[in-house]
Amino acid sequence: MTVKDITHELNERIDDIQKKILSGDIKLLDFELVPLFDELKDSLTVQNLEKSSETYKNACILLNQKFDELRSMLSSLESEKQFLNYLNSNPSDLEIYALLNECWIELFTIDALSLDFLELSQNRLSIDRGDPIAIEHLRKGKIKNNFLLEIPKHKFTEKMMKFFNSIRTKLPCSLEDIFEDYTEQEVIYENFVYLLHLLQLGTLKYLKETNVIYL
Amino acid sequence: MNEISILMHMLSNKNNLYVIGATKSEIFHTLNVKTKNKSGHFHYLIINLSKYIEPLGLQIRYNPINSHWFISYDSEVSDLISANPFENKPRLAATLFCTIVCCLKNPDGISKITEIQTIRKKKGVIEDLRELEQKGYLKFDRNLNHINLTPLIGYQLDLERLFVKLALKIKQ
Repeated sequence: MTVKDITHELNERIDDIQKKILSGDIKLLDFELVPLFDELKDSLTVQNLEKSSETYKNACILLNQKFDELRSMLSSLESEKQFLNYLNSNPSDLEIYALLNECWIELFTIDALSLDFLELSQNRLSIDRGDPIAIEHLRKGKIKNNFLLEIPKHKFTEKMMKFFNSIRTKLPCSLEDIFEDYTEQEVIYENFVYLLHLLQLGTLKYLKETNVIYL
Repeated sequence: MNEISILMHMLSNKNNLYVIGATKSEIFHTLNVKTKNKSGHFHYLIINLSKYIEPLGLQIRYNPINSHWFISYDSEVSDLISANPFENKPRLAATLFCTIVCCLKNPDGISKITEIQTIRKKKGVIEDLRELEQKGYLKFDRNLNHINLTPLIGYQLDLERLFVKLALKIKQ
């Protein structure tokens, strides 16, 4: 025997009941929920188990609401008289204090937030932003199979001595005279480094007072 | 900005100690609600906002004393001890409780001081009432010998829950 899946229909009915309760058309205390649960029970199959669970959950929400209403109604019946009777029974301060526990409310307020601020925030959020900067990964270059670190053709000392030999005939002379024949800046810097090394090694000497380089 | 944003702002707004949140009519006016089924639309808005803020540990409440809707932290997530304004002051809490019962049993919400003194059956009730007045919970009319609650207690105390707890206690 096949059982018709009515979970969707039941969900719609539960939604409809909720709407009618909110609009005041029906009172939950007067509404009979048993037929709803009976229908749900009869329509239950292995295939619609998941859907039925959801419907059962929604129906239970209604049932809980009904219990809450019933509880409120019962508590309001002759409550004044009962409360006065309770107070006349001389409860201790601590007993009343304990009664108030779990009934305190922690308020949530946002004093600083204004409608203008919210509007401004919304406008800021809705501003079109430019495309974010794309990060491109560098491509790995091809490496020769026999990779060797390129080194200068001549060793530093050889170059330095070559420079020394080129100026040897001029000595003794001033610092300016040594470089007077060079025009390129790079060559001047290179040769100046050699000169410093030669001075450090003591091959050349420098007399500061007269600005003379000599052997 | 949609209705939910405006509603959130209205219900979390604190004008002063006694006015927090908004009334139903204020909400209708601000949102320009002119539909036939206003009550249904109002519940729809409240339920929707409630669904939005529930995951944040917040809930919507109603203050029966001044008919204002407001937002509070969910009692399950808030520290109940810190929310208690009468920590280590059970005497003052008990006097306030007697005042609430006396005021709410009268239709106009006003109680005579002698009424409270009769129920409380303790000395120094006047001093307690003065302290409660200083804390903003009640107004003391010394000329007429009257006491009435301010809306503050409706914001800080879940009256419905309190009465249900009390009713259950009495039944036991």
